[in-house]
Amino acid sequence: MTATAQPTIIRRRSARSRQLFPYLLVMPAVIYLLSITLYPGIYALYRSLYSGKFKLEWAGLSNYQELLADTQFWNSIWNTLLLGSITLLVEFIIALTLAALVYRDPWVRGFRILFLLPMLLMPSAVSFIWKLMFNDGRVISDLLKRIGLIDYNIDWMISTPLARFVVIFADVWQWTPFLFIIFVAGLQGQDKEVEEAARLDGASWTSMFFNVTLPMMRPVIAIGLILRGIDILNMFAPIQVITQGAPGGATETLGYYIQRIGWDGPNFGYASAASVLVLVATVILSQVLVRRFFRSGTES
Amino acid sequence: MKNKRSIVGTTILLVWTIVSIWPIWYFATIALRPRVEIIAPDPIYWPTFTIETWAKIWDEWPMMKYFFNSIASVAGSVVICLLLGIPAAYSLARYRYKGRDDIGNYILSTKMMAPAVVAIPLFVLFAHFKMLDTIWALMLVYSATNLSIVVWIIRSYMIDIPHEVEDAARTDGASDLRILWEIIIPMCLPGIITAAVIASVFAMNEFFLTLIIGRREAYTMSIALANFKGGSDGIIYNAIALIAFMAFIPILLLVLSIQNHLSRGLTMGAVKG
Repeated sequence: MTATAQPTIIRRRSARSRQLFPYLLVMPAVIYLLSITLYPGIYALYRSLYSGKFKLEWAGLSNYQELLADTQFWNSIWNTLLLGSITLLVEFIIALTLAALVYRDPWVRGFRILFLLPMLLMPSAVSFIWKLMFNDGRVISDLLKRIGLIDYNIDWMISTPLARFVVIFADVWQWTPFLFIIFVAGLQGQDKEVEEAARLDGASWTSMFFNVTLPMMRPVIAIGLILRGIDILNMFAPIQVITQGAPGGATETLGYYIQRIGWDGPNFGYASAASVLVLVATVILSQVLVRRFFRSGTES
Repeated sequence: MKNKRSIVGTTILLVWTIVSIWPIWYFATIALRPRVEIIAPDPIYWPTFTIETWAKIWDEWPMMKYFFNSIASVAGSVVICLLLGIPAAYSLARYRYKGRDDIGNYILSTKMMAPAVVAIPLFVLFAHFKMLDTIWALMLVYSATNLSIVVWIIRSYMIDIPHEVEDAARTDGASDLRILWEIIIPMCLPGIITAAVIASVFAMNEFFLTLIIGRREAYTMSIALANFKGGSDGIIYNAIALIAFMAFIPILLLVLSIQNHLSRGLTMGAVKG
C-alpha cells in the first residue's frame, strides 16, 4: 500500500516544484531590483509630502506646488531636452557616417578599438580633459589662434551657447563610439544579397544607402538611440565638473538640479517631489520604449 | 567587391581618429609633466617628462587606496550580478511560465531608472544602516544598476544554445540545476564574460551615486579625481591624469578581451556581431 502511494506523492511534489522552479530562479534578481526601484519610489513619494531635512514637517502638496512654479525646475527640464536632443542628433550623424565609411573594410575589427578609446575613460576624467582643454589649459583657444580663427583666448564659460557647446562636445567625444560600434555591427550583420541586388539594378551608392541599407537598420538604430538617450537624460559628470550649471543655469540639467536642491539646499522634501515627477515620467517612457523597440529587436 | 573610399571619406576618418586619440595622448602626458608646464599661460605641446610630480602625488594622496576601493567594489558587484543574474537569465531564456515576459521587461526597465531619483532614498537607507562611505554600499549600488544588463546579455546568449543539448541530458536523468551548471554555463561562457566586463566598465566609471555614498574612506578612482584640489594650487591635473589612466588600463585590457562581443554586450544582446 505504502509502496505504491510513495511514487505518486513524489511525482506530484516534483511536478509542483517543477512549476515553481523557474520562479525560484528569477525571484532573487527581481526582489533585489524591486528593493532599489520600488523602495526609493515609495520613499521619495512619502518624503515629498514633508519639508525639513532632519525634523520632518507635514507639507501636503506644497512641495509640488512650489516645484511646478519654480522657473529653475522648468529651466532644467528645458536644458535637459535641448542639450540631450542636440547631443543625440550630433552623435547619431557622426556615428552613422563613420560606420558607413568603414563597415566594409576588412581591417575594421582591428582598428575600431582606436575609435573606442574615449568611451573607456571614466566620464569624470573625460570631463576634466575638456575642462583642461577648453578652460584651464586654454588648448582649444590656442589651437584656434594658430589656425587664425581668433586672436584672443575665449572664455568658454561666459556665454550660454559656448558653455552648452563645451558640455555637448564632451559627451559627443566620449559617446559617439558607443553608437559607432553598434551601427557597424548592424551594418555588417545585414543581408548582403539585398544590397548586391540593388547594386546590380544600377542603384547609386547614396540611393542604395538611404533606400535599402538605412531602412533595414531601423531596429538597430532604435536600440542604439534609446540606450544613448537614457544615458544622455541622466548626464551628470560634465555638468558637475565643467560648468556647474554656469552661466546662470544655462547648462543645468534635471539630474544636476535635483542633486543641487537636495544637497546644497538642503531640502530633501523638495528634491523628492522633483524625483517623483521624474520617476513617473521614466516609468511611462520605459513602458513604451521597452515594449515597442526592445522586444522587436530581440525576438525574431 | 573592392572598396573604393573617397578622399572625403578618408579625411573624415583621419580627422575623427586624431580627435579621438590626441586628447588622450595629451592628457596622458599631463600625468608626467612638471606643474609649471600645465599652468603655463600658453599650452606646451612637447612635454618635458619628470617623475618628480608623480612621486609627490603618491606621497600626498592614498592613490593605492582609491585603486583598491575601485577594484574591490567593482569585483564585488560583478560577483553579486552573476550570482543573481545567471539563474534569472536561465529562467527567462529556457522556461515558459505565466508572467515571464513581464518579469523580463521589468528587469530591463530598471535600466531606465534615473540615478537622480534613487539618490536621496538610497542615501537615507545607507545612512540608516551605517553603510555610508563603505565599499559594501558601493557594491550594492553597482550591482543593482548593472543587474538588468547582466541578465539580458546572458539571456541572449542562452537563447542561442540549441534545445537538443539539454534534451539529451534530460533524458539521461540530469536535474535542471545540473544542466545549468554543467552544460548551459560552460556553453554560454563568452556571454557571461561579456556581461561581467560590461558591468565592470559601467561600475568602474559610475560617478553620480558614488559621489553621494563616498565621503572619505570609500573614495574610488572615479570620484577621487574630482577632489584633487590643493588650495592655492587649484585643480591638480597631474593627479587627475594619473588616476584616470590607473583606471583606464585595466578597463582597456578587459575590453580588449571581449572585443568581438562588444556591440552585443553594449546593446544587452539586441544587436549581434
